[in-house]
Amino acid sequence: MSDAPDRAPNSNILPGWIRGPQDFFGGLALVVIATFALWASRDLQGIHGFTFGAGTAPRLFAGLLLILGVAIAVAGVVSDGSRMSGFSWRGPLFVSLSLVSFAVTIRPLGLIISAFLSFMIAALGTPETRWLETTVVGLVLTAGCSLLFPYALGLPFELLPQLLRQ
Amino acid sequence: MTELFTNLMLGFGVAFTPVNLMLCLIGALVGTLVGVLPGIGTIATVAMLLPITFGLPPVGALIMLAGIYYGAQYGGSTTSILVNIPGEATSVVTTLDGFQMAKQGRAGPALAIAAIGSFVAGCVATVLIALLGAPLSAVALAFGAPEYFSLMVLGLIFAVVLAKGSLLKAIAMIVFGLLLSMVGTDIETGASRMTFEIPELSDGLGFATVAMGVFGFAEIIRNLDAGAEMDRDLVQQKIAGLMPTRKDMIASAPAIARGTILGSILGILPGGGAVIASFAAYTFEKKIAKDPSRFGRGAIEGVAAPESANNAAAQTSFIPLLTLGIPPNAVMALMVGAMTIHGIVPGPQVMQKQPELVWGMIASMWIGNLVLLVINLPLVGIWVRLLRVPYRLMFPSIVIFCAIGIYSIGNAPADVIMAGGFGLLGYWLVKHDFEPAPLLLGMVLGPLMEENLRRAMLISRGDATVFLTRPLSAALLAVAAILLLLAVLPSLRRKRDEVFVESES
Repeated sequence: MSDAPDRAPNSNILPGWIRGPQDFFGGLALVVIATFALWASRDLQGIHGFTFGAGTAPRLFAGLLLILGVAIAVAGVVSDGSRMSGFSWRGPLFVSLSLVSFAVTIRPLGLIISAFLSFMIAALGTPETRWLETTVVGLVLTAGCSLLFPYALGLPFELLPQLLRQ
Repeated sequence: MTELFTNLMLGFGVAFTPVNLMLCLIGALVGTLVGVLPGIGTIATVAMLLPITFGLPPVGALIMLAGIYYGAQYGGSTTSILVNIPGEATSVVTTLDGFQMAKQGRAGPALAIAAIGSFVAGCVATVLIALLGAPLSAVALAFGAPEYFSLMVLGLIFAVVLAKGSLLKAIAMIVFGLLLSMVGTDIETGASRMTFEIPELSDGLGFATVAMGVFGFAEIIRNLDAGAEMDRDLVQQKIAGLMPTRKDMIASAPAIARGTILGSILGILPGGGAVIASFAAYTFEKKIAKDPSRFGRGAIEGVAAPESANNAAAQTSFIPLLTLGIPPNAVMALMVGAMTIHGIVPGPQVMQKQPELVWGMIASMWIGNLVLLVINLPLVGIWVRLLRVPYRLMFPSIVIFCAIGIYSIGNAPADVIMAGGFGLLGYWLVKHDFEPAPLLLGMVLGPLMEENLRRAMLISRGDATVFLTRPLSAALLAVAAILLLLAVLPSLRRKRDEVFVESES
């Protein structure tokens, strides 16, 4: 909510001329993304006669994003804005790890093991997890999903590891 | 008029089959169930439950999704009243008086009025959709490519102006969404664009994948920031007496009527005014009240008006989707995603080619509202118990449920990882005060915009002024420009902020 900008002095790492670091870095990141998209679509064909090539629209949108990113970054320099908010590492890390683990194990290990494993990894995302309780809920959830998705919804899921399948 | 009647009859004929009735019921129930869970908004709920509808026939799937949507919205109101945590932006103002009422032991009447108000609003909006549907889609059929393109620009500008926060950042998010939609194989030339030779990207970024990442996972990660034990001020009083008194009814009836009218109008606007509708309805009630100081201290009108308004708007926002094929907000964007997966291209043609689908859905909206009224009040006890589930157990469950859901869409493990990546992106966006909803909107509209832009340029033989020389297209663009101009004017800007500031005072 930028309605009430924090005017407190910024942390010392940032130079003083950045008055709205949140906008400044947000805008910069968009500039980077836009530049990357421009680079990625460099080989696509552009306008050709009256017709748009494959690359016209992507470059158009990337160019627009570039301009908007610059504008946001400039706004972050010339006007006071919110400070950077702190990022935490624990939640993002373990939720991502959990998803990666699910993606890697679902094919070879089947739904039961994969879902339970990922559940336990995700639970690491907060220091408040109590392990006994979490294990019980994880088992119940795994059992529930193993019934819901393949049977109730009729989706093609392998429940067991590949080794145990015929 | 007779046509309207036959259309509605057709719709009710479709919706009243036992299977569809069950789907509507299950959707509303499951939607409420997930919507009640704290920290999960309407968009996240719909995104999360999208995969469970994929196995159904198209009509059934859309009916169920609509049920999920209303259920989620109702669940959001329930948490607003009982725990002071709005499920999403549209029920923010409900917390002001709803939670106060709950503290005074009047949670029952507050919930009942919210349900009754929503039901009344839903009935009116259903009729409105039926009335406006056919004529609007007839207009849309007369649109050429330039008009369509200009209409989409107008819709996007509306979405930006009616939303909260910085205009510039919201526009940037739309463009970012447009850019993301370009990834994949170009339909016209077959060239692969920005795919980096990754086979999983050749079909483009999956819509459900992005939605689940940016809304589902990002929201989970963000909630974890605050510490899993969120501040939950659950009302401890027993909910005694559900029914509002006669006095409550008399006080809220006009508020419901005003909220419904305001919500219906704002909802039709491309840009989906459900959020602003609830804020505006609340501000309006407070302005015309004899004693404005009652508001914020448990005035029942303060619950009745915004709840009716947001439900009316939620429903009338189907109008631009069904008639023009343009989703006015992120939830409707998800509906487009669902339709596309079922092979339906939303737009004016759907209304003519598949009338049973459109009218069946419209009829089921009314049924969904009725179902919510009937089942939710008796089930309030269960919803309250759900609110007590600690977040430390809830969040890993949601992560796994979503992971399985994404995987089931295409049996592709890479989608799960991609959704995780978009989750991190969404977390970053929120931290920098970028709204993810316009991004989703841009992503859905991207291919449509490109197609119409291309076609328009082709028709005009490369002359870009075609958008300004065709009168209808020029008018649409002019409205968009005026809107944008008005939104940046200092005086109106202050007004716009004022409407939203209400929630923080």
